[in-house]
Amino acid sequence: MKTQRDAFWDKVYEIALSNKDVVIVSADMGAPSLDKFRANLSSQYVDVGIAEQQAIAVSAGLALGGKKVFAYAIAPFITLRCYEQIRLELAAMNIPVTLVGVGAGMSYDDSGPTHHTVEDISILRALPNLRIHSITDSNMAIAIASMSCFLPYPNYVRLDRKVFPTIYSPLYDFSHGLANLTEPKVVPDVYLVATGNMVHRALEVAQELPLGVIDIFTLPINQDLFLKTVWKAKILFTLEEHTLPGGLGSAVCELLADNGLTIPVKRLGLDFSKGYCYQYGGREHLQSLYGLDKESIIRRIALALEAHHVDH
Amino acid sequence: MSELLRSKANYIRNLVLEMCSAASTGHVTSSFSCTEILVALYYGGILRFDPQKPKWEGRDRLIISKAQASAILYPVLADLGFFPKEELGRFCQADGKFGVHLQNDVPGVEITSGSLGHGFGVATGLALAAKMNRQLHLVFALLGDGECCEGSIWEAAMFASHKRLSNLIAIIDRNYLMATDFTENAIELEPLEEKWRAFGWRVKSIDGHSFEEIFDALDGVRSRRSSKPLVIIARTVKGKGVDFMSDDPLWHAVAPKGDEITRAKNQLGVDEPKPFREALL
Repeated sequence: MKTQRDAFWDKVYEIALSNKDVVIVSADMGAPSLDKFRANLSSQYVDVGIAEQQAIAVSAGLALGGKKVFAYAIAPFITLRCYEQIRLELAAMNIPVTLVGVGAGMSYDDSGPTHHTVEDISILRALPNLRIHSITDSNMAIAIASMSCFLPYPNYVRLDRKVFPTIYSPLYDFSHGLANLTEPKVVPDVYLVATGNMVHRALEVAQELPLGVIDIFTLPINQDLFLKTVWKAKILFTLEEHTLPGGLGSAVCELLADNGLTIPVKRLGLDFSKGYCYQYGGREHLQSLYGLDKESIIRRIALALEAHHVDH
Repeated sequence: MSELLRSKANYIRNLVLEMCSAASTGHVTSSFSCTEILVALYYGGILRFDPQKPKWEGRDRLIISKAQASAILYPVLADLGFFPKEELGRFCQADGKFGVHLQNDVPGVEITSGSLGHGFGVATGLALAAKMNRQLHLVFALLGDGECCEGSIWEAAMFASHKRLSNLIAIIDRNYLMATDFTENAIELEPLEEKWRAFGWRVKSIDGHSFEEIFDALDGVRSRRSSKPLVIIARTVKGKGVDFMSDDPLWHAVAPKGDEITRAKNQLGVDEPKPFREALL
């Protein structure tokens, strides 16, 4: 099974073969799937060295020159290191460059906080024009790769580093920005709203508890579809491998508040209020330290349901 | 020709003065230091552009990386007919289209900029795109010298020489001043020529107020034999043309007011009988 990254780049390679305007700008970041791109399409591959600010600036210039640009690095570096470049060169002028970051959440579980990508959703969703695509599986990565060349706005593709099972069919229509993954026979009054790798965790939890699962893969959230899906719910849980301030949970709360819905929300994510994660021992272990393993989530949901007197 | 350009430079400086004084804001001195450079580029036959078709594909791209010099670009663009001159009278006003820094929705302005260290990198991308597309236009970037403190400038400088962007011409407005102090007191930039040379650039150093030297430095710029990008370090005076505003950090981002306006105008030697807004609106 392919990683999201390899699925994504294989698709971009396929498009680039017939579209000479497709260009990858890499900040010294490779991938097995990129080797053939570098070898066979070297004139469409720009290595800026370890210089993410320059990666964004040069991408903006290339895009102004008519190129379809993908700017690529490890996720924290292509988002936080060059945030003002994204803000001014891309968002402020609405220049359609696709940022591709690998290492969503704590994908780089052996590398410590420098490589954890846990604030990118918070900071990037603050920018106008820009969309975030938080990838759930390889088929979604392929679909978003196809779409990215033709988007009229800047776009951030948040890829996980690990391999996950496939949830979506290759023909799935991802244009709605979210998917209701609830088992067909279940009519839930409790929803677990997740993004990225945590969608897989949410589906595991849904095997144990009768709740609905919503995958948010595009931010800003598709407001109408989201509200239409959850408006009868008694309580919502949000789940993300991302810090709580400003993340998916915040986005959900904002939507509910702005639309006058008083559904209780419990946010489950990384509580870094006491500092970053300097622990190692595998991703599952790190997740368990922050209550994001399956058992902890089930326990936390049960407690919240009890506290809110939701008969479930 | 130089006489005509000198007269034009004076006229443009006066527009800067009037525009900023009327709005009580704007970077007058930063604009005065690069007046001859912009006048040479736009009126001296260097830049290719069409005011009627600001997005003309064959135009040269001028990126003002030191975007506080909007106060000189906007008057130049208005004078050339990119937009009505009346717009200068609405600088930073509620009914106006632009403010102290550059925005790309103004005809003739390529990119939004204002935070330093940004525009130059974009210029390298534009130059690379032109090479990839086999287009013949040039990309010019006007940098502030203080801006060279930004690390992103040197990321872009390395990139441009490595990519052999011979279609890229950087001009550094070397006025030796930043917002609060002289560059050499704050962060020593010298030896600036050697730095750029070490980064793989062809370097020329000139008097940035001399049209003769500006044209000499840009001579043959469309048919350069070198594959290196070209940087012109233009020694200038921040506030050039008005002695009490020159070479003084306190005049950074300050527009003259009251008697200062008259004194400045007298020094520029421009007769302007009517108040600016009244004359334009």
